[in-house]
Amino acid sequence: MAFKYIGKSLIRPDAVSKAAGKAVYLDDIRLPGMLYAAILRPEYAHAKILSIDSAEAERSEGVVRVVTGKGCTFRYGDNIRDLVPMAVNKVRYIGEPVASVVADSAYHARQAVKKIKVDYEPLQVYTDALEAMKPDAVLIHEENGSYWTLPGIKAVPDTNIAMHYHLKKGDVEAGFAEADTVVEGEFDYPLASCAAIEPHGAIAWFHEDKTIEVWSSSICPFIIREDLARSYERPVSDVRVHIPEIGGCFGYKSDITVEQTVAYVASFVPGHPVKWVASRREDFTSTLLGHGIRTRMKIGAKKDGTLTALKTSVYHTTGAYADTGCNVIMAAAHNSTGPYEFPHCDLEAYSVYTNTPAVGAFRGYGHQESQLATERLMDMLARKLGMSSFALREKNYLRPGSVNALGERMYKSNGDVTACAEKVRKAVFGTDKPKADDRYVYGRGFAALMKSPKGAPFSSKGCYLKFNIDGSVSINMGGAEVGQGLRTVVRQVAAEALKIAPERIRVYTEIDTQFSPYEWQTIGSMFTIQGGRAIIRAADKAIRMLKRTASQVLRCDMDLLEYDGEHVFLRSDPEVKVAVKDICRGYIYPDGITVGEIVQTAADARLPRYSAPDPETGQGSMGVTYTFGAQACELRIDRESGEVIIDHFASTFDVGRVINPMQIRGVVVGGVVMGIGAALKEKLRFDADGICENPRYSRYSLPRLEDMPGKQTVEFVETPGEIGPFGARGIGEHPLLGVAPAILNAIYDAVGIDFFAIPVTPAKIKAALGKEGK
Amino acid sequence: MGERISLTVNGRLHTLELEGWEKLLDILREHLNLTGSKRGCDDATCGACTVVLNGEAVKACVTTAKKCAGGEVLTIEGLADGEKLHPIQQALIEAGAVQCGYCTPGIVMELYALFQKSPGAEDEEIRKALSKHLCRCTGYEAILEGALSAREAMRKQAKA
Repeated sequence: MAFKYIGKSLIRPDAVSKAAGKAVYLDDIRLPGMLYAAILRPEYAHAKILSIDSAEAERSEGVVRVVTGKGCTFRYGDNIRDLVPMAVNKVRYIGEPVASVVADSAYHARQAVKKIKVDYEPLQVYTDALEAMKPDAVLIHEENGSYWTLPGIKAVPDTNIAMHYHLKKGDVEAGFAEADTVVEGEFDYPLASCAAIEPHGAIAWFHEDKTIEVWSSSICPFIIREDLARSYERPVSDVRVHIPEIGGCFGYKSDITVEQTVAYVASFVPGHPVKWVASRREDFTSTLLGHGIRTRMKIGAKKDGTLTALKTSVYHTTGAYADTGCNVIMAAAHNSTGPYEFPHCDLEAYSVYTNTPAVGAFRGYGHQESQLATERLMDMLARKLGMSSFALREKNYLRPGSVNALGERMYKSNGDVTACAEKVRKAVFGTDKPKADDRYVYGRGFAALMKSPKGAPFSSKGCYLKFNIDGSVSINMGGAEVGQGLRTVVRQVAAEALKIAPERIRVYTEIDTQFSPYEWQTIGSMFTIQGGRAIIRAADKAIRMLKRTASQVLRCDMDLLEYDGEHVFLRSDPEVKVAVKDICRGYIYPDGITVGEIVQTAADARLPRYSAPDPETGQGSMGVTYTFGAQACELRIDRESGEVIIDHFASTFDVGRVINPMQIRGVVVGGVVMGIGAALKEKLRFDADGICENPRYSRYSLPRLEDMPGKQTVEFVETPGEIGPFGARGIGEHPLLGVAPAILNAIYDAVGIDFFAIPVTPAKIKAALGKEGK
Repeated sequence: MGERISLTVNGRLHTLELEGWEKLLDILREHLNLTGSKRGCDDATCGACTVVLNGEAVKACVTTAKKCAGGEVLTIEGLADGEKLHPIQQALIEAGAVQCGYCTPGIVMELYALFQKSPGAEDEEIRKALSKHLCRCTGYEAILEGALSAREAMRKQAKA
């Protein structure tokens, strides 16, 4: 299939305004009469609130109102309704909102909030799932088990276990009985922050006419709208949510979190827009975190390397609220098989309340955490069996006809992991490894990977398509552009589908629930697949409308007509034609009489037949579309300092179809560096009292330019999928998934030490080298 | 308590009444409504607020107002010539270095200050300048590539 616009490196439509400094992000918005909120955070991570004295704060300069959680009667959330907008009687983590000051400037609000005095009665603090799930643990939520939940979420009442999920395929005992050998281990993917450079924030405005207007740096405007409407008992149509430019997301600006707090504060000063933007400290401790996942895994295999059984237990330090974390660990359980077929699986996950900030989405959503275990254990198994790790993997890859843990059958259109593995093997292992020298020792490591979207049965994305009177086209969708480049994808897919040059297709900028078509939320690397399909459907409808009008004008049947972007014409005699620009708002005859419709269409797309889990087995159609890939690296370790230097990192994904080569390389290269941060540098540390030790960029070590690999090889396999536009699949999260295991496998290759927890810092390497006497 | 300062921003002279606590970033964003300079961290770590003060790239989030008194500030808003972007902006766009765009203004101004002082800056100098900036999207590859091609574009422009 030859494409005109797909596969071209078009420049993103928002690049100019961003480079010019004119793109408007949340904190750049100024509204008439705007007030500013500052929020008080507790001194304890788990405590009863005995009293709050706000008298001095109320007298402070510029203060309009002081707000506390006293009297707040509702809970919110879209999976488990366990969240409160502001602490009521009790605080559960160190970043929780306790009180808020609304003032005429952010500075005055911040000054006044320091003057609020709170008496607390401290309670036992838990910062790790394994401690908090002990039977005698103090309850963080006495109400656990009584909250409203989506179907399929089961709490264990009178414990801190907010959700227990269990997925069974076959008979795992029988599977281990068949095994000749077993490998097992416990792996730790610690708490971390997405840490986008733009901090999270929101503006809320309760209007006099009872409508509510919100702006947020969020990827979930429609979730925010529905949740606020429920909390404040308004029709959903009376809540309007705007999404300006977003300065990076990587997961944590999803669901509904800070918007509920800002709305709660604003509800006390109706008539005034109230803005709150997180300080960097608040962005670390008062928005969603990522990971916090311990994975215990056991793999059984026959002598020849055939896998027989997988047992996975995921323990999640989910934080003070579980609404946003419960689906992450479901994904961690589903996808802990990695890209392999196990005939027998027993995969379970516990989402456990702890006195740490709530965990939510982090680019990769449960996959990289449990697949760190899978990919490290596959290397260990190969060693134990005395097999090549490539041959071991190759023998067990999911391929057409295989059935995954969820019970879904694989088809060729799911993609080709073997082809991906072969490309990165050649790229990294195709030459001789450098020999160790006085300073450095070298290693190479590999990881294969599998990504599912972790969507939902109702995860639709909509598209409004409008032909303008000159034949140019406007496309309006609800997908949040966070930097991943979805506007470019929209433009290219629409151009291809409509056969119109991209310069004549204008893609939406702001999302506004008043004008934008419905979109569930822009998560799970699903936009290209579902959004792209929605565009094609909307384009097909538009072309049908054009043909319908043309059939009247040209006086022939519709099925005899062709469309080429500029004209609709008779297939058998292309000279019989009418220009698109002359029929896109109806055709106007010389006497002024007009026939035909204005060409503006709506369409949507969801993942086909996505289901809820079966109550017995936990299985179901909960992946629907998969993307496979493989990653490998060559690194060297400084014997003196323990520093790891990545010389070469290679990634290959079967994305079905590359839509924009420059942009997709950018997504992969950036994702790999983010993964390097996770593997070697990043951890948000909480002490035993639940106090965060490093909530600043200067103490939370994000990768910088000097952490770039010496070279990145990025390649693609293109086995078309059946759902996405022109065969395309998602890519947003995938580049992170294999990074940590590839690096840890390479570290083993270099120094013969198995690491089970990240980040593997130079200090840890030095300590391990010392211990081993290496 | 209050203080009065004058400074020139993007060629325009401003006289401001301040409370005394303000940093340059507060002046730009809150007083002058120049929101192109971004707030990312407040501890001079991310570089998103970088502007040029008296020819030097500075982090506006920690630069006191006092230090700016009588000074000349250039921000991202002052760089393009109408619709015509500066070669640094253009080069970053073409290299694919703009993703979410939040770090972009700071990086552009960092490079501008560098190339004003040292038009033929060595690769190592460019890397060092970029090392002062955090970007969570790109993995830095395209930013470095954009910076190198900006240097070429500015060289050509200087010759012409």
